[in-house]
Amino acid sequence: MHSDRPTLLLRIGAVLGLLFLHLPILLIFLYAFTTEEKTYQFPPPGLTTKWFSVAWFERPDIWPPLYLSLKVAAISTAMAMVLGTLCAAAMSRTKFFGRDQITLLVLLPIALPGVITGMSLRSAFGIMGIPFSVWTIILGHATFCIVIVYNNAVARMRRLSGGIMEASADLGANAFQTFRYVLLPNLGSALLAGGMLAFALSFDEVIVTTFTAGQQSTLPIWMLNELVRPRQRPVTNVVAIVVFMATFLPILIAYYLTRGGSETAGMGK
Amino acid sequence: MTPSTATLPTRGIADRLTGLFWRRPGIFLLLLLLPPLLWLGVIYLGSLLALLLQSFYSIDEFSGMVRQELTLKTYGELLRPQNLDILIRTVVMAAAVTLACAAIAFPIAYYAARFAKGHWKAVFYLGVMLPLWSSYLVKVYAWKLILAKEGILSWAANATGTSFIIDGLLALPVIGSSSLSTSPLGTFMVFVYVWLPYMILPMQAALERVPTSMLEASADLGATRGQTFRTVILPLALPGVIAGSIFTFSLTLGDYIIPQIVGNSANFIGMAVYQLQGTAGNIPLAAAFAVVPILIMLVYLWLAKRAGAFDAL
Amino acid sequence: MTIAVEFSDTSRHFGSVKAVDGVDLQIEEGSFFAMLGPSGSGKTTCLRLISGFEQPTGGQIRIFGEDVSNTPPHLRNVNTVFQDYALFPHMSVRDNVAYGLMVKGMGKRERLSQAEEMLDLVKLGQFGDRKPSQLSGGQRQRVALARALVNKPRVLLLDEPLGALDLKLREAMQDELKALQHRLGLTFVFVTHDQHEALSMADSLAVFSDGKIAQIGTPAEVYDRPRTRFVADFVGSSNVLPPQLTQKLGGPAQWSSIRPEQIRLADAGPLFGPVTALRYLGAGTRVVIDAEGTQVAAFVPAGQPVPAEGSIAYLNFDAAALNVMEEK
Repeated sequence: MHSDRPTLLLRIGAVLGLLFLHLPILLIFLYAFTTEEKTYQFPPPGLTTKWFSVAWFERPDIWPPLYLSLKVAAISTAMAMVLGTLCAAAMSRTKFFGRDQITLLVLLPIALPGVITGMSLRSAFGIMGIPFSVWTIILGHATFCIVIVYNNAVARMRRLSGGIMEASADLGANAFQTFRYVLLPNLGSALLAGGMLAFALSFDEVIVTTFTAGQQSTLPIWMLNELVRPRQRPVTNVVAIVVFMATFLPILIAYYLTRGGSETAGMGK
Repeated sequence: MTPSTATLPTRGIADRLTGLFWRRPGIFLLLLLLPPLLWLGVIYLGSLLALLLQSFYSIDEFSGMVRQELTLKTYGELLRPQNLDILIRTVVMAAAVTLACAAIAFPIAYYAARFAKGHWKAVFYLGVMLPLWSSYLVKVYAWKLILAKEGILSWAANATGTSFIIDGLLALPVIGSSSLSTSPLGTFMVFVYVWLPYMILPMQAALERVPTSMLEASADLGATRGQTFRTVILPLALPGVIAGSIFTFSLTLGDYIIPQIVGNSANFIGMAVYQLQGTAGNIPLAAAFAVVPILIMLVYLWLAKRAGAFDAL
Repeated sequence: MTIAVEFSDTSRHFGSVKAVDGVDLQIEEGSFFAMLGPSGSGKTTCLRLISGFEQPTGGQIRIFGEDVSNTPPHLRNVNTVFQDYALFPHMSVRDNVAYGLMVKGMGKRERLSQAEEMLDLVKLGQFGDRKPSQLSGGQRQRVALARALVNKPRVLLLDEPLGALDLKLREAMQDELKALQHRLGLTFVFVTHDQHEALSMADSLAVFSDGKIAQIGTPAEVYDRPRTRFVADFVGSSNVLPPQLTQKLGGPAQWSSIRPEQIRLADAGPLFGPVTALRYLGAGTRVVIDAEGTQVAAFVPAGQPVPAEGSIAYLNFDAAALNVMEEK
């Protein structure tokens, strides 16, 4: 049937579009091996692997931001998983007054531009005289991570046959046993996927963080500083690869944990 | 047969609590919702209110301290020519980025929704989702590499003898500059790149809901491909385009990293907010600037809702 | 006789919707009781009131004399076979069946051996290691049954258990369920919208309409003597006659019903009109005439002459066969 075949133009457009999305990332990898450290000369005059050892041994300024980013992402993810799951559990039950408003409230932190979330938190810290700390960063990150976990959990709950919770109670399980033996095993992979995505989002976040970090430096903030005032440019590329992998791998895992359903992770960043 | 009873004995606190939740489902719901609602309600909504409150404060011109009295003076400052410039520049950029994203996203979304099958479907899905989620800063950085004067784009233009195109574009007023990485054109390209996946996914979702039979019906009734496209596919894809545009528009309105790294020093709303709250220490004006995207997005969302875009989210 | 389940003036209203409205009902121990009605008639809500997934907004429910108003579902000694079976997808068939015993604290060996026994009972002895998704619809249904029965409930509730099965399997399962119930001597409460299923399986049944019980009785009583037009329409294929026709046939000015098998063709009779439809049914032919605007069907056994379509036919019957109904 003639209408079921894509035109050449459409095919080219689609493939070029996908390449456009991916090729730039490859350049990051290439430039991590260049011998030129002052400019972004292309093609690189020579290739070397020395920047990896430079980043590892000679740049102690990388490590504290890395630790801070890991710490923030881990704690924010843990908090978001608890809060997002609770919220999803409540919303998957019956309809109740104010349900739509709560959905909106959960979505708002990622629906509004990060600069607003960041500036809002900054205003609140200012008015209340709260000093910047790890916890002010976590406060912001957990807020926009809740929705990621929530989306994944809600999608899975929608797919789960509602009957299995009732079946569990019918067979004599109390609410806690139902949670442990029925809900958790069925929700597990979706929660894990949500946690992965939340971790990736938090690890990489820079806009909100610049407002809530004060003088502290997370890895993305370190990178931002290097971009504005470059030192050894290829070292920045090495770190960029680390950041890229730290977000890329969890996303890939999340995809494989949830694929094959209408709930596939990542539809609603 | 042993006479078993109709009910089982309560075995402990877990059973008692389960019974309580069963008799009063409202209590259970409240217990579940309380922690997330407290968090989002107090921390997030509270912060938004703090932002609103700050925007009604003003800065004392002599001492540089924030005067905690409600006034519209700070909003008045937004209307100064240089601040108004920032607002207009940002909105124009957001609109241009949105249109460009829609144009580039369409073939990808359409192909993925209509023609990609099985294995290719997954490739397309991952191909869009991975850039969507992967590091924002790394993506911006990649474009700094691409657009640099000595970078790959100039090299490719030289190698193919098409440098005159880039030079011609850079010679244009308003969008041009000495190099791509310092021109508004460069800023625009990076914006389009970074937000493109946000346009593709809702568009694809909307297009996937167009039944093939409907296209066949259109062809059957004698429509040419062009007519089918204009009269059937486009109207049905529109909610997806609007849903995607909410993201691209809103994200461009609020971004301040991209224009800081790629572009001339022309200010955008996000940059103004960041600079005012940081080095300038004028939190009230920063807050007032931050309220503008909220207002714009509220109007935008209201219009989108009227166009039925939320069914496609 | 012991009463297993008793509703006294029980209601379940959802706002202004009266899903169950003032139901009085007694189900005898050891009986196979069917709740029959169209969807939205309140039969499933009644079942959920017994299991505890709904709570009455008025009246009481007693199970073996005990008021269960304050007993949550997990402490009621009744079990349910759900409409979509609701098997736990992440557990093996054996673990599914042993689940009720596990949450009640029974040791692993003991509960697994009881589960095996129960799987043998439903002829699924060799399927214990499979996941529910690897079973056919009929097999899943048996697992659901085993999972409920292993808890030795005092009442077994079945919510349209055969609805998802194809016709042949459904008929086989009907016989099997009936045999199982007979063997165990257990009280079965069975919800269905299929009148044939209810009539063929139940010892007694209740017909639901708009949240109320329209009629309660043995299948024969309900089939032969429907009390209301609704029951006559819904159960079986009785002719429903309006008041003026009833009066003409010697009854009071009320609605009445009469079954096609009890009507015969005659040379003369009180009911007559042109034949509008003929349907050959193997064991006989169903002849429909138009009697003063009312379609009346008669069953003509095989071997007897059948009138031609369009000709005038006369119908006759025994006066006792005319069932005068209450209101409406």
